[in-house]
Amino acid sequence: MYRIGVDVGGTFTDFTLLNETSGEVLFYKVSSTPSDPSEAIRTGTRALLDEFSVKPEEVSFMGHGTTVATNLVIERKGSRTALLTTKGFRDVLDIGRQTRPNLYDYQIQKPAVLVPRALRFEVDERITVDGGVLRAIDMAQVDDLIGKLKAAEVKAVAICFLHAYRNPVHEAMVRDRLREAMPDLYVTASSDLLPEFREFERLSTTVLNAYSGPRMQTYLDRLSDGVQALGVPMAPYTIHSNGGLMSIPTVRQFPVRTCLSGPAAGVVGGAVVAGEAGFQNVITFDVGGTSTDVSVIVGGQPQFTSSRTVADYPVKTPMVDIHVIGAGGGSIAWLDDASALKVGPFSAGAVPGPVAYGRGGEEPTVTDANVVLHRLNPVTLLRGKLEVKEQAARDVIEQKVAAPLGLPLEEAALGVLRITNANMGRAIRSVSTERGYDLSTFALMAFGGAGPLHACEVAAECGIPTVIVPREPGTMCARGILLSDISLDFVRTHIAAATLETWAQVGRYFDEMRVDGGNWLNGEKVAPEMRRFLQVVEARYEGQNFEVSVAIPTDEAIDLDGFLERFAEAHRVEYGYVIPDRKVELVNCRTKALGLVPKPYNDFQATEAGTVEEALLETRSVYFKADQGRVTTPVYAREKLPLETTLSGPAIVEEMSSTTVIPPASKFQVDRAGNIIISILGGAQ
Amino acid sequence: MSALSSTPATGTLRIADPIGMEVFSNRLLTITEEMGNTLIRSSFSTNIKERRDCSVGLFDRHGRLVAQASHIPLHLGSLRGSVQAVLQRFPAETIKPGSAFICNDPYLAGGTHMPDISIVTPMFTDGELRFFTANIAHHSDVGGSVPGSISAMARTVFEEGIRIPPMLIVEDGRLREDLLDLIAQNTREPEERILDLKVQVATNDRGVAALHGLVRQMGLAAVEQAVEDILAYTALRLKMRIDELGDKRGSFVCHLDDDGSGGPPVPIATTVWVENGNLVIDFAGTGPQAKGALNVPASALEATVFYAAKALLDPQLMPNEGMMKAIEIRAEPGLIVNARFPAAVGARSITCQKVARSIFGAFREILPEDRVLSSGGDDLATIVFSARHARRAGTYVYLETLGGGGPASRRLDGMNAVHVHVTNTSNLPVEALENEYPLMVDEYALVERSGGAGERRGGLGLARQVTALQDGTIFSARSDGHKHPATGVAGGKEGATARLYRNYGLADQEPLSSKVTLLTLNKGDNIRIETPGAGGFGDPKRRPAEAVQADLEDGFIAPEDLALYGRSA
Repeated sequence: MYRIGVDVGGTFTDFTLLNETSGEVLFYKVSSTPSDPSEAIRTGTRALLDEFSVKPEEVSFMGHGTTVATNLVIERKGSRTALLTTKGFRDVLDIGRQTRPNLYDYQIQKPAVLVPRALRFEVDERITVDGGVLRAIDMAQVDDLIGKLKAAEVKAVAICFLHAYRNPVHEAMVRDRLREAMPDLYVTASSDLLPEFREFERLSTTVLNAYSGPRMQTYLDRLSDGVQALGVPMAPYTIHSNGGLMSIPTVRQFPVRTCLSGPAAGVVGGAVVAGEAGFQNVITFDVGGTSTDVSVIVGGQPQFTSSRTVADYPVKTPMVDIHVIGAGGGSIAWLDDASALKVGPFSAGAVPGPVAYGRGGEEPTVTDANVVLHRLNPVTLLRGKLEVKEQAARDVIEQKVAAPLGLPLEEAALGVLRITNANMGRAIRSVSTERGYDLSTFALMAFGGAGPLHACEVAAECGIPTVIVPREPGTMCARGILLSDISLDFVRTHIAAATLETWAQVGRYFDEMRVDGGNWLNGEKVAPEMRRFLQVVEARYEGQNFEVSVAIPTDEAIDLDGFLERFAEAHRVEYGYVIPDRKVELVNCRTKALGLVPKPYNDFQATEAGTVEEALLETRSVYFKADQGRVTTPVYAREKLPLETTLSGPAIVEEMSSTTVIPPASKFQVDRAGNIIISILGGAQ
Repeated sequence: MSALSSTPATGTLRIADPIGMEVFSNRLLTITEEMGNTLIRSSFSTNIKERRDCSVGLFDRHGRLVAQASHIPLHLGSLRGSVQAVLQRFPAETIKPGSAFICNDPYLAGGTHMPDISIVTPMFTDGELRFFTANIAHHSDVGGSVPGSISAMARTVFEEGIRIPPMLIVEDGRLREDLLDLIAQNTREPEERILDLKVQVATNDRGVAALHGLVRQMGLAAVEQAVEDILAYTALRLKMRIDELGDKRGSFVCHLDDDGSGGPPVPIATTVWVENGNLVIDFAGTGPQAKGALNVPASALEATVFYAAKALLDPQLMPNEGMMKAIEIRAEPGLIVNARFPAAVGARSITCQKVARSIFGAFREILPEDRVLSSGGDDLATIVFSARHARRAGTYVYLETLGGGGPASRRLDGMNAVHVHVTNTSNLPVEALENEYPLMVDEYALVERSGGAGERRGGLGLARQVTALQDGTIFSARSDGHKHPATGVAGGKEGATARLYRNYGLADQEPLSSKVTLLTLNKGDNIRIETPGAGGFGDPKRRPAEAVQADLEDGFIAPEDLALYGRSA
């Protein structure tokens, strides 16, 4: 039987096919079809099955990462959406946190409000902070609003009332009445999606869900029809932002949870692959054409956050904590009027792209600098599918960077890379120091098309001793999908001092959420022995306005004192100190319901390997450092390199989806799973 | 300017190593970000942790600012005063490794106001003083006559908390616990002060360690060269922006409603021009120092001027000595913007906001039209509720500053409900507020019709109405803009003024003035604040018809406003 992982990106749709019997893993790529992303999945799957002679009914699992919901938000192509909210609060969506996005530049504005004020309707109701009904809802008023919603021809409605996380009764009444009166309407109530306090973030998340809901449904329908038509017996799963898998019915209900779908899969996959290679503390470094995603894995576990934004809109659902900066292969190098060389934030993207790709790009990019220095193959890429125009890259770097700065061509190109690497290094330092980690105890896991090009120098810049490059790094996100579990997050907010009484209430919340999670896992058809529940209490000292997470294992009975000890320890780890006599306040209880998916990692073995001589494709004169000039460097085919054999840099390793640059002062070997493990010996540039 | 050389071919100035400089500036930002992360992550106070009312910086041994990560503009360059005061009291040759300094006083130590405490730590290599790391953080209380240490009614700095001249807080590698205790015991929350001050000391130590790493990575000579390059580059970049201004002169006057203790409006007058290649900002014509705490000490005035110059001339400009050297501030002693000791300065930010408005106004006469802005809702209203705590022992203090309408420009309508100018702190969510305090929010909304009309409309102000849920709730407010609206530009109209009410919508509704001290509310009494809208940009009659129609449908304007836009209802 076979398992298929698919990641839909802006330019390519990547496939990973795992043969469960032989352990063979195969990679495949087709161009994406942005107008209907399911088309590339359908045609790509068809071609993949043909290419490797697999019958559709032999597919036992299919999972995919999607950017459909994200793109609907970024491109403002969601559906016409209305908001129903508590009287007096319809502008909360516009006010947000009352901050401006840039301290100095007033041309950078808050994102446009997705629901115009005229479609934000107030309902005269009020729940109090303890869940009591201060003003009961008048359903006649709701019926009146239904008339207005019909007249306004909205496709979706978000419902978000104050303190609905504590008492959802009014939201449920309105939701049910809307569904009854307007069966085709897409309705999201905040208490169904995210019953958690802090109204703006809950409201924003609820609105994004409603706004992307109708079109996401259309996409999912096409996708499942298409996959079914191929004869694949499994409905495809979708990876969501916390790195877990969800079935199509769940995604239909909660599309906003897919906002970081593909990148999250890359991190989850990175954690598994690095862990099997013996690295528990890892920085993932995913470099694409326009951006770099950085994430921290500690003790083999990806880190999560629930305070992220999508296109500047807050999304409060738990997500893999990924830091994104606007630096990638397409980033443009330019000189400001005081003759300083800058790289980015502007990008040539996929179109027009780098000058060297001959698709109309006219500005010098990071990729062009890599071509000039022969770090990237100056003749062809993608195994001959992409012709590289070296002379054009040389000309543009010469004219727009080297000549104005009065520098030799190579030094100018190296300058572009040094600045890029310093930008990327800063992002890595920032995510690690935010939580107080020591980078010398981490390894850098490089993937994405351009990650392995920059990884060694970025690692040196940051004081990271080891670089890991997985097989076919350009398709890591598709591979990560095969390494993910089914999961969904549940939350209850109850802000109260930690006492025997409230601690007992916490136990009841966890009981409730295990029931909810169990019901959900039933729907996902997860066998009982494959179910797990991860429980966390978020708490703080009285007077604080931020929480620390305390894990509450399901297999231990933890009493109040036990919890308080764990809280103190968590606070000490997170912030460096405890305050012995201060009272502790409970805030949120979270449960993650998990359905374990078998992950035959041991099957991910490098199946072919050869000798160094067989692997040698050519030698190239590659430019690493100004004081060394061009250095004769062997270029190897990744899949033919011998396993567990230590080699010295300099070297270039090429494979279909990426190129790894190994500088002179370093050693490397290919491990049994086919990862390249590089030891950085020299200091930074 | 040793790092600048003139190339014969073009005759233009250039930097010795532009690539090395850019790499270096990233590395410096890495260090200031690491320091900022440490400070924010480890601090206890909400002020530092959530409101990010703190900044970190790196200085060279001469006390020149090399890099700063500033989380609010009111701190821009404000660490310079502390470092210079330390160097004055402790000359460089007397400073020993293993020491760190503390100070806060606006008159003795270049401070911005008492709650902002600075820590300055020297960094040595090979036994030589090379750099300083420094940070400043707003502590929620430093003693004085009122909780929080800021009262618009304070008359002298002696009422505003403990005064700390430059002193050694770490000596021979040991924290001076006795001094720390002295400072902490002069505040209302000694435990939190001790925690946060220790975090501040540790933050600088992180910066020192990172600087050592940088010196190891690059070599000391290369680091020192790169510092010169970066200062020269910044100076050059600002010089080009200043040169573009030509010989024009701009002036503007705006007004504080009063000086904090009633009384007549206080003019804030600014004239800007270029003189000998420097940007001169002259406050002649500005009103005298206030009896109340609205006075601006020198470092807060500098920060405001630097903020305005950066925002107006080059938002990407790096904050370092290269930027600051070319800006000359002229303000006579005895003005509200340069008060004499011992005038109180706690509420300086209200005046700083008007200083920024005045500078932005003066630049309208010398910048191209596509770079100027209308005046925004910049009154920095602060409301404070306090009473017995509902759920635990003691007294709660709920403080919030409110944003207003964002300024409009040639290209864009103003943003609704944002902080403008020297601060950018976030609100407290309604659900968090009601969980924490015996208060209930009745409304949190935009103020309809408050944005000034224009081809581009000014942003709308915001309204917050809060009802007390228990007797004896004490309310105070310090604000402005009840009398003087935000003005428009290029034919744009002014925004609505601010309002404050007690018992809005009830039988005994009454308007309140912009400064309220210790008003007692009973259960069921409410307070409503409406902050000002921004001025508009350009003739409202040129506003596109569909934009006017959308504003009407959204209720941003009313049918009676259509005439202003040259349209009939």
